[in-house]
Amino acid sequence: MSLAVSNRNFFLKLQLLKYGRLYATSLSSVEDEYTQTPQYPEIVDLAPFEVKKQDAQDYYETIKAVKTVEEKQIKLNMPKYYGFKCFMLHENAIPYNNLNLTQYLTKTHLIENNQLPIVCPTMEHVNLEALKRDVEDVLILAHEGYCKNASVKDSNLTEEESQNAMSSIISQQIHRAILLNLHVNYPHLEAVQTDIDPRIESCWFSGGIPSNREHECAVTERKDKAVQYVGVPTLTVRSEVPLSPIISFDEAKSTNFNIPNCEYQPQSFGVFTTHRRIVNVPGFWPGDPYQFGLLAYHYRGHILRRRFKDPVEHQEALHRQGILAGFGWLNAQANFLGFSTYNDITYPLVTQCVVTNGKMWSFYAYQLNTILMHLKYIEDNSKVNICWGSKELKLYEEIQNGKVIGFNEDVLKMLVSFYTNVPRERSGVELRPFLGDQEKVIADLQDDERREWLEKEYKFITSNRPRHYLPYEIYHWEKIYKIDHKKRPMDARRRPFELFINPWDRTYNSRKPRYIPRKHRPDVKRHVGRDAKEYFP
Amino acid sequence: MSTRLYPLYQKGNPQLRVFLSNFWMKLVRPEHKQPPNVVQFHCSMEMTRYDIKNYLEKIYNVKSTQVNTRIVLGKTREEPGKGYVIKDDDYKVAYVVLPKDEKFEFPNLFPESAEKEKLDHDKALDEVRKNHQKYLEKNSDRPGLPGWFSF
Repeated sequence: MSLAVSNRNFFLKLQLLKYGRLYATSLSSVEDEYTQTPQYPEIVDLAPFEVKKQDAQDYYETIKAVKTVEEKQIKLNMPKYYGFKCFMLHENAIPYNNLNLTQYLTKTHLIENNQLPIVCPTMEHVNLEALKRDVEDVLILAHEGYCKNASVKDSNLTEEESQNAMSSIISQQIHRAILLNLHVNYPHLEAVQTDIDPRIESCWFSGGIPSNREHECAVTERKDKAVQYVGVPTLTVRSEVPLSPIISFDEAKSTNFNIPNCEYQPQSFGVFTTHRRIVNVPGFWPGDPYQFGLLAYHYRGHILRRRFKDPVEHQEALHRQGILAGFGWLNAQANFLGFSTYNDITYPLVTQCVVTNGKMWSFYAYQLNTILMHLKYIEDNSKVNICWGSKELKLYEEIQNGKVIGFNEDVLKMLVSFYTNVPRERSGVELRPFLGDQEKVIADLQDDERREWLEKEYKFITSNRPRHYLPYEIYHWEKIYKIDHKKRPMDARRRPFELFINPWDRTYNSRKPRYIPRKHRPDVKRHVGRDAKEYFP
Repeated sequence: MSTRLYPLYQKGNPQLRVFLSNFWMKLVRPEHKQPPNVVQFHCSMEMTRYDIKNYLEKIYNVKSTQVNTRIVLGKTREEPGKGYVIKDDDYKVAYVVLPKDEKFEFPNLFPESAEKEKLDHDKALDEVRKNHQKYLEKNSDRPGLPGWFSF
């Protein structure tokens, strides 16, 4: 008995010792509590709209703090299990009258000019005559050789597909010819990577777009909407260092640049929504050292499908393709450099695009100054992206009897000037400020399990494959007999709309982790360790 | 397109009959804010985008660049006193995009001037009606006498 009592006392004392510390004040800190001048916490605006804004800002900061590229992309996808409702911008399906909307969505000022700003210092290092001969050979071979090739002349192919097959062949061969001719005098061309038919996808949030209900709202009160671009270039060239900016950041803030307004919902212009995960893929995977795009060749077979017969609109459609080709690619690259739609780029990025079918050529130079397009920055952010675009130009008139007739050297010179634009190291600029020092991509992670888990999740997100289970829907009979007319009062209330749940708000991580079978678990209790560990950022 | 059956030929019938189309299109006021070159229609359910384009082009000589269609679920309501649910028919909505330099504004079908004219007319009619009533009531306490008989 006495033993039990003394034991109890002992535990009481222990408890007191443990929790007593919580109430103790340290003597030394009394003086530190006071300062010469009073220090108050920051005064925060507690109006509901301001609180919402602050919450959003906190969320952006959490994305900024994530260290690796892949984790940032997963983090961007965390709010939605079924993906975001995205406005889809397909490169090869251009609806009627789409240029203004595109300029608004990408915040781009378009300068139409046949003299592109890419500085072409000296053409004297280029043997234009030899190059011209090579390009002519390429064209003749393509038209008289490959044209008879089964892959191009296949009668099952549509007009669009066969034109795309031709432009793919021509752009690859012209690229090869130019590299061969120029690489001696322009050594940067020896250190470039070339991709054939890469996949380019790019996603961002844009503010100020009205929905059905938001037409009457002020621009700042409209909700942000996700925009997803899907591009299909035929060939891209990229290097380890970026191209030099054409204009400075300060110049990009100038008021001379005008962006058209977005007064109507994009559906009125043939741009519709779908549920998709946010995907940014610039044609390569994170960790590739060649991260800066120099030049992209794009197809234009889809133009054949357009039957609007309006020459002005036709030119606008090409500009739309050029703007999106530039912005889409650079935005995806910026995401791989650690920036995101919520954290703006800290230095301008530049790329060059060509839209061609071998005969008709359009040239675009694009400078990306900002990727903040969403609500908070719609008024604060005065920076504008700039696109210089040429009209469509003819490289030659026609090919007859093995000869190229009416070859236009100016077009070739423009193309060459894209190659002679030398990418350079940016002195004093940190290229990846928002990535970790040691860990920039998940391949740098030491923990094998975590790295493999993240890799799998990242690849699943970028694949945009649908989930195994069909997404949620309200059936017609439910809408009629349960929602519109309460005709089934005795039914058990199990469906989300009866439980006041919005299934589209389900977050990415609200799911069961992978099950670990009993035999793979260590020898612990039966109910322990059933779920595999998850590493959501 | 017409769904009417071509009647079996009997001797003496006309050789070629042409039936009017089932297709109809109704111009409606746009539900939401639309660009000035977009026109909204309700149309018969069988019409495809190509039908709509051709209908406007061949009959009214209106050129369209792009046609988008959607099908709207008909409204449901309860039959009063009976308790069962009735559903209206679904209908098709067509958004026709005109060339971008063209503008269409939905006409004001009931302008104010016409409304006022109608009101004036109604007022005059009322006056006449009232006078006639007065005239009839003059001899109401003397049954059997004709209306024109008075002192």
